[in-house]
Amino acid sequence: MTATSVGIDVHDVAVAPPSKRALKRQQRRQDREAEMIPVRIYGLRKGTVTLVTLLCVLFAVFTLIPIAWIVINSTKTQSNIFESFGFWFASPFEFFHNFSLLFQDVDGDGTYIQWLGNTALYAGLGGIGATALSTFAGYGFARFHFRGSKALFYFVIAALLVPIAAITLPLYFVYAKVGLINSIWGMVLPSMVSPVGVYLMKVFIDASVPQELMDAARMDGAGELRIFYRLALPLMVPGLMTVLLLSVVGIWNNYFLPLVIFSENTLYPLTEGLGLWAQHASTSGDAQIYPLLVIGGLVTIIPSILLFLVLQRYWRSGALLGSIAN
Amino acid sequence: MADVTLEQLTKVYANGVVAVRGLDLHVDDGEFVVLVGPSGCGKTTALRMIAGLEEITSGRLLFGDRVVNDVSPKDRDAAMVFQNYALYPHLSVYDNIGFSLEMRRVPKADRDAKVRDAAEALGLTEMLDRKPRQLSGGQRQRVAMGRAIVREPSVFLMDEPLSNLDAKLRVQMRSEVLRVHRRLGVATLYVTHDQTEAMTMGDRVVVLRDGVLQQNAAPRELYQAPNNLFVATFIGSPSMNVYQGALERIDDGVAVVLGSQRLLLPASFLAEHPSLNAYLGRKLIVGLRPEHLTDPATGARPPEPGTTLVANVDLVEALGSEELAHFSIDAPLAQEGSKASRHVAAELLDGSTAPGFGSGIARLDPLTAIRSGDRATFAVQMHGMRFFDIESGEAI
Repeated sequence: MTATSVGIDVHDVAVAPPSKRALKRQQRRQDREAEMIPVRIYGLRKGTVTLVTLLCVLFAVFTLIPIAWIVINSTKTQSNIFESFGFWFASPFEFFHNFSLLFQDVDGDGTYIQWLGNTALYAGLGGIGATALSTFAGYGFARFHFRGSKALFYFVIAALLVPIAAITLPLYFVYAKVGLINSIWGMVLPSMVSPVGVYLMKVFIDASVPQELMDAARMDGAGELRIFYRLALPLMVPGLMTVLLLSVVGIWNNYFLPLVIFSENTLYPLTEGLGLWAQHASTSGDAQIYPLLVIGGLVTIIPSILLFLVLQRYWRSGALLGSIAN
Repeated sequence: MADVTLEQLTKVYANGVVAVRGLDLHVDDGEFVVLVGPSGCGKTTALRMIAGLEEITSGRLLFGDRVVNDVSPKDRDAAMVFQNYALYPHLSVYDNIGFSLEMRRVPKADRDAKVRDAAEALGLTEMLDRKPRQLSGGQRQRVAMGRAIVREPSVFLMDEPLSNLDAKLRVQMRSEVLRVHRRLGVATLYVTHDQTEAMTMGDRVVVLRDGVLQQNAAPRELYQAPNNLFVATFIGSPSMNVYQGALERIDDGVAVVLGSQRLLLPASFLAEHPSLNAYLGRKLIVGLRPEHLTDPATGARPPEPGTTLVANVDLVEALGSEELAHFSIDAPLAQEGSKASRHVAAELLDGSTAPGFGSGIARLDPLTAIRSGDRATFAVQMHGMRFFDIESGEAI
């Protein structure tokens, strides 16, 4: 290579844009420099932030482990569920076989698809009912002052503290009297009562439906019902969706109430159905029920996750932007 | 179209707080009346009672000849502009303005014409399709007004409508509000805590304090002849200088005693205010507006003998059109005795002023040579002087 060509080479390098590697190096250097400035998030020291992040990761892992297990084991045969390593796949891959079994009547207990339908019905009716009642009640508590309204609200709050198990037995006796045992309304009606929902809606409405807006509407000649539907309701949507999600998931996962009020397999929700299968799995040795239990569990949690993903876009702030000067 | 009459209107809240106490007021058709007072004086409560948003504890409210105490807000035919605008966030400007017409089942074509008309009057035609969040503060304010005027109400109520705007826009919107008022030509009640707004906008200004009417007068009268010490110091900026003083008879007339100094009160002043004779030899409160203290050097004529006040000038603020001299004299600020004067004292007294020394402000010609730190002589326009009873705070 001649001196001239070397000179040209050097020249080329100088003009050419820096290589990707050089850019990366530069980026890393900048990152390092940025790191030297103590980063403070919400006024916390970096070490604290790291610690909190670590705790969050641990918690996430703790939460996700059972889900990972259920996903992995939904692909296994009964013997593999017991014999292979729980956190890795084993052949044969039986996911689709297991899945198709879900839709067959095993042992004459009834079918998964029917329980799924029941659950959807209970959760749908109960969830919508709970949301509607919570919204009406929360709106009343938040925006109307009537005699005893405070006492009544504290009463609702107190109901938050009563565990469902404590009222299930009296509920059963009442139901037996009025014939709601083995009726879908026996499941749906109590699910519509949601003290948490009432509380959430009141707090949400206090914060997001300004009194002045209602005053303005009253002066504009709108009646109370009109104010509720046309003006207040659109502002309540994020709160409404929160209550809907919480109630639907709550009913979807409810085990205790249906256990008490249903004795017919055909009325069972998924929780009871899977419970029935679990009993059979432990008593009848031969039937291949464990794979069904696992994949049944998996399919049971999917709707809750989907619902959460769909509804989370409503958790946006700024719905009120522009209404009230700030 | 209607006039509004308040007869002994009173509001007592459930917790026993009296927000408005026996308010008597009459607003003529087409009149612009401003309710003004410090925060918590009951002006907004009074307005909300007129709107029908607040229950009336006692007294009567009349629109025209009709008692409307128990008429619901929507049937009172009053429109209101709220301090925070209270626009409907998910409705367009068009629907916001048209909402009341829609509620009243005005036919669509008619409604459309009225909404466009109102929008045009307020310069909102371009924004009709926008949502409130896409508008600036001033535009939102206009939408709030549009929503109120489109109904052609017979009573127009405004609750501090400009307080959320920046200073420049506020001044601009004042004339806009007045224009809207003239266009509607209806009885208008306007609530504000800003005395400048009250003075510049009102045909009549009603000063409230602790739920009690202090004075109800045209702006000029309010300024020149305040009923009491509270009105005197609340109206006007910078506010009136008030000191404890006394009246003393001297050889050739009556002197006003301010600390160690004496000012000669013209015989004509005494003739105009005969009630002052009862205060000869007694303590009272002396009020002097800043513009009644001038620099004799910039005046056309030398001051009359016995009408000058010597004071220590602490600070001179040059505003261009005028200079404000902050001074102190050895007369105590009005601070003892009545509740009224105590209240004033609390507002005026800052830590720097020792008891026995009263601070004050003089509004001087920009050509003045008086500077900070000077011991200056001010010419006092004796006819601008006001006197108040030291116990009751009432004007003498």
